[in-house]
Amino acid sequence: MPPNATPAILSVQSARLGFDRPVLGPLSVDIPNGARWALTGPNGVGKSLLLKAVTGQARVHGGRLHLAPNVDVSLLGQDHPRRQPWPLSGHDWFRAMGANTPDQPRIQALLDRRLDRLSGGQWQLLRLAAALHSGSAQPSRERLVLLDEPANHLDAEVRGDAVDLIAALPANATLVMTSHDDDFLRAIGVENHPLEGYFDAG
Amino acid sequence: MLGDLLLVPFVAGLLVTAVLALAGAGLFLRGSVWQALALGQWAAAGGVLASVLHWPVLPVALALGAGVMALLQRTPDRERLPLAVFLAGLAAVTLLAANFSQASLAAAAWAEGQLYFAGPQELWAVAALALASLMLVPGLLKVWRHAQLAPDVPAKRAPAAWLRLTEIAWLVAAIVLGSMVLGLPAALASLLLPAWGAAHLARDLRGHFLWAQSLALAGFLIAWSLSLPLDQPFAPVLVLVNIVLALVARMVAIWR
Repeated sequence: MPPNATPAILSVQSARLGFDRPVLGPLSVDIPNGARWALTGPNGVGKSLLLKAVTGQARVHGGRLHLAPNVDVSLLGQDHPRRQPWPLSGHDWFRAMGANTPDQPRIQALLDRRLDRLSGGQWQLLRLAAALHSGSAQPSRERLVLLDEPANHLDAEVRGDAVDLIAALPANATLVMTSHDDDFLRAIGVENHPLEGYFDAG
Repeated sequence: MLGDLLLVPFVAGLLVTAVLALAGAGLFLRGSVWQALALGQWAAAGGVLASVLHWPVLPVALALGAGVMALLQRTPDRERLPLAVFLAGLAAVTLLAANFSQASLAAAAWAEGQLYFAGPQELWAVAALALASLMLVPGLLKVWRHAQLAPDVPAKRAPAAWLRLTEIAWLVAAIVLGSMVLGLPAALASLLLPAWGAAHLARDLRGHFLWAQSLALAGFLIAWSLSLPLDQPFAPVLVLVNIVLALVARMVAIWR
């Protein structure tokens, strides 16, 4: 590591990732602490799989995936179908995610409502807010927030709120997200990192 | 209505209904309805098998129920495999009843329920389970809340493995003991229908648990009040009452 380089919160070295068998890699990437990264690339390149491997939902079949010590990881999955009926409120969701509720009026307005009665955009916004605030009550621990296609289902009404929520992430938290929505990425102001650039040569 | 002879069955029935309503709300949140059917059917198969072997009923029913739950936990399939296991349990009970006279009597008892014959032994077992349930509620809620999140992942730690195992063991005990006391159909009706009706009425998770308890206990009391004066078996009356209550809950939710 160069002398002034920021230490990596996530270090992936020649990792082969997959579920029952490896389907991605070898891949090597170091994500610095406090980064604001967007992993980009075509469908099927493995962006979501990498995020799932970080949270243990996918397996590391070879190589190494190392998280810095004392890091709490939260993930907004790409899609969360809702059961009908589903007797949970917005408050229940934040509690389950271990998240403080943010002050945004649009989020506050959703907290007393049942999740199965929200629109698709409202549901996505609520999940995004919970993922961003999950673990925020423990400032002593580092946070890595993973967002898989957070712009999905966001209509014009709530898109600005989503941008504001992501932009308000504290500087000591690290953000890694995937998105195909260039306008959304520009609005947030994250660094674009095409995932293909991190595959090991050969 | 509550003579000395019926006080023990009434209290045992009321307590086990409260436990089943809690378990049913948890199973509803986990989306594990077929698992409950398979588990209950194999508990009945265990009871029938115990009658053939002249073994004590509860340990055999618990052992078979636990075995089935352990098998079903190893697969993410929430429908087809549990359905196959349920049908296998039904076949096992039918075959045992067809080949052994004592098994036939036991199978009829599990199907019809024998709440009126519940004695102090059943009451103590149910009271112990109810007490354990009260103590476990905070941990059970933690497991059920966490089960709602996937594919999202929270920054806080998932419930510990021992807590998840405890929840499964408690579900097995609740369904097995509920089936023993109320009969399999009545136990399943107390398990599944109040939670389903409550899911339509509740504003949040807490409301779901409270409505499930209210509907289940109301169903028990109505069925008790109807079956005794009309000289009808308790279990089928309870099943019908719980169906009506769940449908009324659904209609009220649509109406409001």
